[in-house]
Amino acid sequence: MCAVAKEIPPVWTTGWTEELSTGTWRSATPVHEERPSPCKNACPAGGNIPLWIQQVREGQYHSAWLTLVANNPFPAVTGRVCHHPCEVSCNRGEYDGAVTVNALEQFVGDLALKEGWPLPGPENNKDARVAVIGSGPAGLSCAYQLRRRGYRVTVFEAQPEPGGVMRYGIPAYRLPKEIVAGEVNRLLATGIELRTGTVVRGEDLDSLRKEFAALCLATGAPRAKVLPQFNPAGGRVISGLDFLGRVNRNDIPAIGRQVAVIGGGSVAMDVARTARRLGSQVKVLALEDGHNLPAQAQEVQEALEEGVIIRGGVMVREAAEEGGILNLTCDKVVLDPSAPPGVLKPIVIPGVSFQVSADTVILAVGQDPDLDGFPVRQGENRVIEVDHCQATSGAGIFACGDAASTDRFVSAAIGGGKRAVLGIERYLEGRGGNCGGEPVPDEVSFKEINTFYFPVAARVERKAADPVKRLQDFREARVALTEEEARAQAHRCFSCGHCLKCDNCYYYCPDMAVIRETLPEKLYGIQDRYCKGCGLCVEECPRGAIVLKEVRR
Amino acid sequence: MAYQFAEEKVFCSGHHACPGCNAALAIRYIVNTLGKDTVAVVPPSCIAIISGPQPLSSMRIPVYQTTLEASAASAAGIKRALKARGKDHVNVVAMAGDGGTYDIGFQALSSAAERNEDIIYICLDNEGYMNTGAQKSSSTPFMAYTTSTPSGKPTVKKNIAEIMAAHRIPYTATATTGYLDDLVRKVQRAKEMKGMRFIVVLIPCLDGWGVADHEGAKISRLAVQTGIFPLYEVEDGRKYTLNHGPQGIPVEAYLRRQKRYRHLTGEQIDEIQRMVDSDWEYLRTKFDS
Repeated sequence: MCAVAKEIPPVWTTGWTEELSTGTWRSATPVHEERPSPCKNACPAGGNIPLWIQQVREGQYHSAWLTLVANNPFPAVTGRVCHHPCEVSCNRGEYDGAVTVNALEQFVGDLALKEGWPLPGPENNKDARVAVIGSGPAGLSCAYQLRRRGYRVTVFEAQPEPGGVMRYGIPAYRLPKEIVAGEVNRLLATGIELRTGTVVRGEDLDSLRKEFAALCLATGAPRAKVLPQFNPAGGRVISGLDFLGRVNRNDIPAIGRQVAVIGGGSVAMDVARTARRLGSQVKVLALEDGHNLPAQAQEVQEALEEGVIIRGGVMVREAAEEGGILNLTCDKVVLDPSAPPGVLKPIVIPGVSFQVSADTVILAVGQDPDLDGFPVRQGENRVIEVDHCQATSGAGIFACGDAASTDRFVSAAIGGGKRAVLGIERYLEGRGGNCGGEPVPDEVSFKEINTFYFPVAARVERKAADPVKRLQDFREARVALTEEEARAQAHRCFSCGHCLKCDNCYYYCPDMAVIRETLPEKLYGIQDRYCKGCGLCVEECPRGAIVLKEVRR
Repeated sequence: MAYQFAEEKVFCSGHHACPGCNAALAIRYIVNTLGKDTVAVVPPSCIAIISGPQPLSSMRIPVYQTTLEASAASAAGIKRALKARGKDHVNVVAMAGDGGTYDIGFQALSSAAERNEDIIYICLDNEGYMNTGAQKSSSTPFMAYTTSTPSGKPTVKKNIAEIMAAHRIPYTATATTGYLDDLVRKVQRAKEMKGMRFIVVLIPCLDGWGVADHEGAKISRLAVQTGIFPLYEVEDGRKYTLNHGPQGIPVEAYLRRQKRYRHLTGEQIDEIQRMVDSDWEYLRTKFDS
């Protein structure tokens, strides 16, 4: 046997481990994916909140505003009056306080008005004409989105000025009228025809249908609800809507020294605070207990600061006029917790009734649409029945806003107007199906946020003006954030589910399997050959923009 | 905040570290920061496995696999030889585990430190002989389970950073993978200095500690935030600087995420908390001067 002498290689290392495919070990693979943030999902207008806040953070204010107005043409309005469910759902709320989305929206909205930025108009014009009935937030949102898509739009408005609830409902100390005028005029300037002082009745729809390819009803909920306890004929009982409308038209009604406001919602707070500014003593009587009023907590807080007395758990049994004074006999009540949601079923606590006297009673117990004669089906809740595309039972007739929803929020109306346009466009293009979009990835939850990358930073809200000074006139009650404050607050946004190219996934990979891409639409790639599927990149992503997906072979 | 590291591509994909391995992550930033003009010395350890199955290598630099006892001596010899050949600019780094540092390689390490050899010695400390099936080392912490301390180690972890600082070497530092910027800065700093430089990097061992594949960096942060493993550096054995210290998080938050501690009773956790508090009280006085 002759053994061949084993050669000793001059170099022991003949290659690099890059020849080895460790990716075969993997049972899961990371995927970079833009995922919805809770704020975006909560936004009734579908606003891309993480994106525009990111643009504010980078000082790209015009871009931020363009992102905002893609969904909502009234950021300076909603930046003041939106009930901001985005902040309630904000993941940062579980950490050190929600991002002040609403205040940031106001900052961007105000800046746009100050700078005079025009809204983007249509890229090309279409022939189809669409009529929008009503120029409140829903109608104008619908008109604007139609116009952006090139349709020719005519808006009909019964009142002398456009704006609906923004102009005639919400008081000026919450929403200055020049803000409304600024945003409404800017919207109309995109080429929308407005016919004010034009009442459209149900019987007019047939002739409108001949002139217009589609109609959108956005007539709001102008009919104030009444309560049987109050004699509607008595001049000392007025509706909150009428009261706010008159004050907003500078036609101040005489309400006397003592005012009782019935109701616990936003309108009740608007009425109470307006009456305080007119010099009256104001008591709010609400069925709900004082800590659970339907009005936003901040509005209640500000009303209390301004000296409004709020009595919750109260129901007025009867009202009697005596010597020019209304005497209200009130019972203490609790609400039946077994009542279905949205239904108030008061249970009287016996033996604790009391009297409240007032010069004027203002009812703010809700409103209904005024739809007499309109050829569209209404639901039991007295609003127009619509499908996901806001289409009504009438062919080519769509509806949005308070006329078609019991979600009585400005931002919900804006969202409804935008949704109606998707339906109108489908209708005009002769496409069927519904407006349900593509399936979206799961919303980013707080536990997917890696808080190590977010130093604790305090939430700063707009400061309230001094309550005593506030009562002297209708000047705005809250002080906007400064640019510096806005930038600092924008920095607090986690940007849930939105990759900011921070490179953490790239740097944290022990296998160098994450690569930086140069394509604008694709930021990172995963090298299948090497990725072992450990999920470290997913964990170290600060904001839940990577998910681990099971590998099926 | 976003990290920005200048990496020289020394460390290669395709190495055989476990998925999510924090030792591999640390090695990436050690060798990629030291760069191509580096010779590495590696004793038997996971690092030897990761550096590549012969004839392949995961590091585009010369790697000398020495004996478990001799990392510091081998590194010192290589550095002296390079110097003699006029290649003083080449870094020599020994990368050893805690077994090869605290226990078996300790004599060579202490001697090299005493002679102030011009090497960088980095201990990737995963608190046990994890490569051979999780036996205890003198780095294993009090009460941690290993296969050789099935009811928990009855003695405390040896404090290697203090031992090395006591040699009055130019640079001693602690680091960990959850603070990559801190790790990179310390390696860079060591690279720019001469003489004996020692960095102990806490490496959560996913398998040995019983931690999920994705959680290594998170666990390492908890070690810092609970005060179990403060990040600091010491110049000339005297000048102490704290980089990241405890943030008032109880040790339980760290211990409960690891299977090696799952047998602990509430009293034992309290005892560990007291020990950590007392160690921190002692250490923090050093940062004052």
